Amino acid sequence: MELGLDVRKVDSHSVVDVKGEIDVYTAPKLREKLIELVSEGSYNVVVNLEGVDFLDSTGLGVLVGALKRVKAHDGSLSLVCTQDKILKIFKITGLTKVFPIHSSVNEAAGGAA
Amino acid sequence: MEIAIPPGSAYVGIVRLAVGSLARSAGFDEERVDEIRIAVSEACTNAVLTNDEAGSAEAIAISWREESDHIVVEVGDRGASPEQQPSAADSQGFAPRLVMSVALLRELVDDLSFDPRPGGGTLTRLTFSRAG
Repeated sequence: MELGLDVRKVDSHSVVDVKGEIDVYTAPKLREKLIELVSEGSYNVVVNLEGVDFLDSTGLGVLVGALKRVKAHDGSLSLVCTQDKILKIFKITGLTKVFPIHSSVNEAAGGAA
Repeated sequence: MEIAIPPGSAYVGIVRLAVGSLARSAGFDEERVDEIRIAVSEACTNAVLTNDEAGSAEAIAISWREESDHIVVEVGDRGASPEQQPSAADSQGFAPRLVMSVALLRELVDDLSFDPRPGGGTLTRLTFSRAG
């Protein structure tokens, strides 16, 4: 099981396109990538979950950890997600109130609601 | 049916594959199959992590039992029950991973229990109603 992670710049944001399943096995890879971005000075991060088939509590933990890191630098962490099965995970855990969730990368990087 | 996996994170995905197939065969619709996969995956993840914390290298035992009106999935580990582990939010108000995991389990299963196992550890029992 592989997790695809591609990073690109959209305006002033670093966008991480995630592909595959985020679980207890793959989440550390996402954590490392997000820590690397922040340590390189990318404090406005968009995590694109449109290519994600599965997300669990370890994936949520990684995203919360990354949010804390960017907030420590007055940055932002936004998500892109339109899949009901993934959105459901955020709703059940109350994290829709914590993460700005957008329907496209452009919307997320543009800061539109 | 019973599956035993080594207590490593790499094997939880294999359980998801097996459970997805079993749930589909049992007649659940795709949305419910997905929810069952998530719930069983969470239970296995908690088992893998708690075994690790407890220093146990014992296999994680997973059983799948089909009854007329429900399915019972049991996951056995050698660690502490989620109900006995820290649940307080951090200074910024964020809940620990395990609290999010239990929230997902409570929402996605029709009945959830954590019971002590003979010899130590926890048996997590997930019941999925066929009607629900």
